[in-house]
Amino acid sequence: MKLWPLRRRANGDISAVAPAALQRGQPHKQVLRPVRPMFIWASLAAGLALDLLPWGRTPLVPDFLALGLVFWNVHQPRRVGMGAAFLFGLLMDVHDGALFGEHALAYTLLAYGAIALHRRIQWFPAISQSLYVLPLLLVAQLASAAVRLWVGGASNNWWIGLTESLVGALLWPLVTWILFAPQRQPISRDETRPI
Amino acid sequence: MEYGPPPLFNQGVSARARLAFFSFLAILLIVIDARVNALDTIRIGVGVMLYPLQRVLLWPRDALASAGRYLVTVGNLTQENAQLRESATERAARLLQDEQLRLENAHLRQLLALRERTSAKTQSVQLLYEPRDRFTHKLVIDRGSSDGLRAGNPVIDEQGVVGQITRVFPMVSEVTVLTERDQSIPVEVVRNALRCVAFGGSEPGTLELHFLAANADVSSGDTVVTSGLDGLYPAGLPVGTIARVERDVKDQFARVIVRPAGGVNANGTLVVLQVTATPLPAPSREDQHTDHIGRRGARR
Repeated sequence: MKLWPLRRRANGDISAVAPAALQRGQPHKQVLRPVRPMFIWASLAAGLALDLLPWGRTPLVPDFLALGLVFWNVHQPRRVGMGAAFLFGLLMDVHDGALFGEHALAYTLLAYGAIALHRRIQWFPAISQSLYVLPLLLVAQLASAAVRLWVGGASNNWWIGLTESLVGALLWPLVTWILFAPQRQPISRDETRPI
Repeated sequence: MEYGPPPLFNQGVSARARLAFFSFLAILLIVIDARVNALDTIRIGVGVMLYPLQRVLLWPRDALASAGRYLVTVGNLTQENAQLRESATERAARLLQDEQLRLENAHLRQLLALRERTSAKTQSVQLLYEPRDRFTHKLVIDRGSSDGLRAGNPVIDEQGVVGQITRVFPMVSEVTVLTERDQSIPVEVVRNALRCVAFGGSEPGTLELHFLAANADVSSGDTVVTSGLDGLYPAGLPVGTIARVERDVKDQFARVIVRPAGGVNANGTLVVLQVTATPLPAPSREDQHTDHIGRRGARR
């Protein structure tokens, strides 16, 4: 509902200064600064580190690395792709003592889902984006559950873990806010600059 | 849902092709790992690479715990001290008696020319963390193959058997707990020396005794210990107590639920028994399906 007037305003703006991304209805009108690749990899490493913390069997702890992968695959699908997701998945497999390739498969599916939906998701404000992120996370978790059930090493109450996806989706606006923060920094004012 | 790039801007291999490639690779890895067990060298390589990071990330928790210990009040300490002294005196009497019984037992065994009970080499280890994996319950301990641990070694704590080492890395090892579905352990009921096999239960956190006749002499409250028949777990280690026995008329087996003794509060120190399992002769074809008691965990 909110998108239509926004888009019309962008269309009505005759000056061709507004970039294409803005015309497509970025919910915030601010033009983002280009992302630094170092920040992408640092944030993914931070997600991995958060996953490696000794959470034990604490319930409701989301998969931070998965959230980071979804975010960067939605917003920078040409920099972070399925290859990176696959490799991060292998690291998680070793840490969790899971089957080799289980998280890799889940994260690959996650990255593909994010890439396939990335043009659509960016239309919505961050809170509505959670509704797209939730099924992505669920599909990834169900993929690894399917692998476990197929191989035959799952305990009976595995489905309790699916609540983690819900928590992850609820955290999505926060993740968006944090990971966009460096790109939202105002450009340093230069009084002598002509524009 | 067509997201092919316009021909002007070539974006490389399409997303679908990459999805197919990486999912195929992942499924290939899963199948190889689950069926052939050929990926252990890669896994150990990745594990060694990940180890420093894992240790660094355990530091905040350990720092918090040690800070908590430091701030324990004097009152708590004196109370704990008194309790410990009381239990020490209580145990001293039992220990003296135990010493005497041990000597007597050794003497009797010599008289009977029985084989000496092998006392396994033990190693005390620290619990590092529990993996977040929702599908299985494992523990990761701070010693590995460089300390002489092997896959298959039993792990106990002060209460009883916790589980079995199922995978070793150079510096850490993974322990699968007894209550896992594919773990099994040969046990006997202390009261009447009834032997059977305990498997991981269908209810989380329990064990089940399988293949006990519906009229078997077991009742809730009976203590269950290892029988030592598999040559892996030493005999007499506490496994748990029977919580419930369900006898159904239409079933020929009783359903016996055992609450495990060890690993309930899995924090702190565990003990690994470095048992070298005497390899049994290769099973013949017809009894192959019955001869995997106590070894199923080690194989994975």
